[in-house]
Amino acid sequence: VSDLLVPRSDVGEFRKRYKWMALAAFLAFLVVVGRLFQLQVISGADYRAIAHENIVRRVTLATTRGVIRDAQGHVLASSRPAYNAYVVPGRALPSARPPHHATLDEVDTWSHIADSLRVNPEERARFEERIRAACTTDEDKSPCWRPLLVREDLPRDIVAELLQHESELPGVDVVSTPVRYYPYKNLGSHLLGYVAEIDAETLTRFHPPGYEHMPAEERQKANPLGYDVGDGIGATGVEHAWESYLRGQRGWEKRVVDARGRYRSGPDAERILDAPHRQEPIPGRDLRLTIDMELEQSAERAMRAQLSGAVVVVEAKTGRLLALYSKPDFDPNDLAGGGGKARVRETFSKLYADPLRPLLDKTTSGAFQPGSTFKPFSALAALEAKVVDPEQKEKCDGFLMFGRKMFKCAHVHGKVDMRAAIAESCNIYFTHVAEAAGMDSIARMANEFGLGAKTGIGVNPEAAGRVPTRSWYALRYKGQFRLGFTLNAAIGEGAMSTTPLQLALAYAALGNGGVLYMPQLVRAVETSDGAIVQDFPPRVRHKANVRPENLARVDDALYAVVNDPKGTAFPVRDPTLDVAGKTGTAQTGYVAAKDVDAKTAWYYSQSHAWFAAFSPAKSPEIAVIVIIEHGGSGPTVAAPLAIQIIHDYERLQAARAGRPMPKVATVQKTLAHAPAPGAP
Amino acid sequence: VIGGRLLGRARDHFDWALFLVAALLGVIGVVNLYSATSVLRASLSDMYVQQVYWLVFGGILATIVAAIDYRHYERLGYLLYAVGIVLLLLVFILGRDIRGSSRWIYIGSFSFQPSEFMKLFLCIALAKYLHDDPKSEERSLKDLVVPAILTGVPTLLVLKQPDLGTALILFLMFVSICALVRFKLRQLFYVVAGGGVAAEIAWNYGLKGYQKERITSFLNPDANVLGAGWHAHHARIAIGNGGVFGQGFMRGTQNQFQFLPDQYSDFPFAVFAEDWGFLGSLVLVVLYGFLVLWAIRIASTARDRFGAVLAVGVGSLIFWHAFFNLGMVTGLLPVVGVTLPLFSYGGSSVLTILIGIGLLMNVSMRRFYVSPGRGGGLILG
Repeated sequence: VSDLLVPRSDVGEFRKRYKWMALAAFLAFLVVVGRLFQLQVISGADYRAIAHENIVRRVTLATTRGVIRDAQGHVLASSRPAYNAYVVPGRALPSARPPHHATLDEVDTWSHIADSLRVNPEERARFEERIRAACTTDEDKSPCWRPLLVREDLPRDIVAELLQHESELPGVDVVSTPVRYYPYKNLGSHLLGYVAEIDAETLTRFHPPGYEHMPAEERQKANPLGYDVGDGIGATGVEHAWESYLRGQRGWEKRVVDARGRYRSGPDAERILDAPHRQEPIPGRDLRLTIDMELEQSAERAMRAQLSGAVVVVEAKTGRLLALYSKPDFDPNDLAGGGGKARVRETFSKLYADPLRPLLDKTTSGAFQPGSTFKPFSALAALEAKVVDPEQKEKCDGFLMFGRKMFKCAHVHGKVDMRAAIAESCNIYFTHVAEAAGMDSIARMANEFGLGAKTGIGVNPEAAGRVPTRSWYALRYKGQFRLGFTLNAAIGEGAMSTTPLQLALAYAALGNGGVLYMPQLVRAVETSDGAIVQDFPPRVRHKANVRPENLARVDDALYAVVNDPKGTAFPVRDPTLDVAGKTGTAQTGYVAAKDVDAKTAWYYSQSHAWFAAFSPAKSPEIAVIVIIEHGGSGPTVAAPLAIQIIHDYERLQAARAGRPMPKVATVQKTLAHAPAPGAP
Repeated sequence: VIGGRLLGRARDHFDWALFLVAALLGVIGVVNLYSATSVLRASLSDMYVQQVYWLVFGGILATIVAAIDYRHYERLGYLLYAVGIVLLLLVFILGRDIRGSSRWIYIGSFSFQPSEFMKLFLCIALAKYLHDDPKSEERSLKDLVVPAILTGVPTLLVLKQPDLGTALILFLMFVSICALVRFKLRQLFYVVAGGGVAAEIAWNYGLKGYQKERITSFLNPDANVLGAGWHAHHARIAIGNGGVFGQGFMRGTQNQFQFLPDQYSDFPFAVFAEDWGFLGSLVLVVLYGFLVLWAIRIASTARDRFGAVLAVGVGSLIFWHAFFNLGMVTGLLPVVGVTLPLFSYGGSSVLTILIGIGLLMNVSMRRFYVSPGRGGGLILG
């Protein structure tokens, strides 16, 4: 013990060092304090901003797209939720993560999830591979934590099952997204159009370079409707044309998130958020169309036996479109993305491959030779120019030699005046009309009735059609102008073409005393609770410059087409209806290519069958156009369908007004004569 | 009578400043740990309670360590050192791999890190060597061969685990203790040059990939925010977010929203700085500064070389831990896993620091030793 207590060894060697050590330690801590001063006092505000940005996220609040209804209030397009299943790889398959990070209480739920989602074995293997690839690292922002879309548009029962077992299946999230829903499916698909996911090209239009870093106002200017990746945008039809009304404005809400991206709520989270917390989304405007869906259904029923064609029904004294039907059609639900992207792709490839072009709206985008339905305008041209005496009869031998070319007529009509020529559709009579009036005055009269120019419907790309003139031929043909061109024009053949919509409006004008209306598809814009924001009155486009007595004469001839025993549509007339109209059988001039099979060649060689009508004849309410592409004869194919649609219209009107229904007429099926194609 | 006299002496000689500062740090540390783990309460079941147990246990150990005359430690110096080395070797046999390194010995449900305690054993061994080798003339490198070996063996064993932080602390403690003795100036140049070469070799062959990544991410902090730079990046934001007055207790968003990984082990200061701001941080740094300077003061008043070296050793242990941790958390230094004394969660770390403080208390209390013969027993001698 004593040696412990002897005087200790000399500490003198260390004496001088203590001060230096103390100084060094002091300086070292001073540096730390300096650094803290820099971080907390000088840059404190900056770091506070960063810390705030770390946890406050602006979550966009979805808006609902406006509902589209028909004139009677039937819903034509609305939104429904589609439930998509996402899997977070790191939580569904924790065993895939690097081993030292996984905690013991996590178990693999992926196989249960896959069972619940009814993922087939092949897909299951593929997804499992993707999950494993994502989880090679599990840092906080690795793809291991990024949700993976596994199934789109889950059926309700699977959604219910997943929600019930939510607590036992960590790693699966069911997210609902709005998907456009068209309850009438194919019906009216062309006029309604569809909503599709915005494509990259369109998006770059709204997101110019540097968009991410633009101040809010500039962003607003470049992208007023706030499009983002994955948004739906109206692709065609009303959905496209009225996009800015239908879309609505997204809102946002500030939410507090932690480092793993989980939302936090409660008073602590509330305290962090700075005002304003939330901007409510503005729902899109609802649209009320002029379309009468029941009449549209009637058009669809009428066309059921036909391959391809179009129907237009327009209110004669307003220009409001009651039915626009184009066949073949498509189901916009397949293109709206509800069933997943694969279904959209598949549907598109099928639609593009179809030779009957189902995506084309034939009512407005298809231009066809009007055939004999054009004759009233030729007749009017001649009457206005006073170059033909309507009472004078011309002789029809069934054909006419014109140079070396022979013009054929359907029959040997004998001696016909203008009324009979229109009613019986005599081509020979109209060679005289053409010769007397001349091409340009016929063209002028066609233009008076809106033919050859776009109607301005504003939905879907519209064809202007063509009304040829001498100057048009001068540009088109190197050779001499021939009288034959004029003869063709007078009977709606050759270079002449119109869209069914143009013809409908022109016939409405024939019936209503010459007033050409703007076609109207949208009746009103409404708020989501039904208040009318904007109501669109009918608009007159043009008043045709024709003398009333001439118009009356032509209208009388059109009445004779249906009601005179010799009229072309007389055999298919409905005696309970008061219809005036004109049949047409337009040759298409189809020349079969060598590799086309006989059946196809036969189909395409058939004429377009037309019927253009207005009803009631004296003071028309509606004008109806029916065209069957390659349908053959106008009087036998198209006219009965138009009559049927007019009959349905009357029935609907009566039902809505509470009047007794008109009797169903037995349509006389046996025809007095079957007109040859090309000259009805 | 004797008992009363002994207690009276203990009271007179007791280093109240040392005790109070250490106790204050312990209390603040637990309070901060409460905040740091509050968000994880469910998964980290009441870590702060565990930490209180460690602090109480460490306090008891420190009292015992302080009560036994440090000259007994001097006597047993090399034996203690040998025990430390054996424990370090046992790590390789009994250790388990956690996050790519094995640092722990498991005995039943109990586990500890021998490398932590090795710091104290090394301190004692070096103190004994310098105590036994008094010199008044300047030393040459030859005189440091044995201390260098004493340091080198545990340092290499710890590097092998691998635990770069602890190895660094061991080495720096050795350097600090060496700073006490006088050197020939020329020899110092050799040391610096040799150190440079060693660093080069260590960089190329010694360091693991993740260790290098941490250093490069320190040199270029914004390059890899999501990867290796994540810790440093978010710790810096947390500190800055504290501002002058802090966000308030348990209100630091960086911590509460889990942007701070290892907030209870290596980064508790970021939590503290965010909650209490610059003023709170200043208080904390002053406390650590005081503790280190106080240790130097204790060394300067020590009656013998062993006590002086011991005090400087423990002082350097606290200094390097605090400086490295604060430097790393504030972004002054690369991220190496070094705990903040009495702040970081962990039994081995807390016990080591508290035993170290017990040793300081021991040296401090025995500065009043006047002459042989008056001292009573071994216990309070």
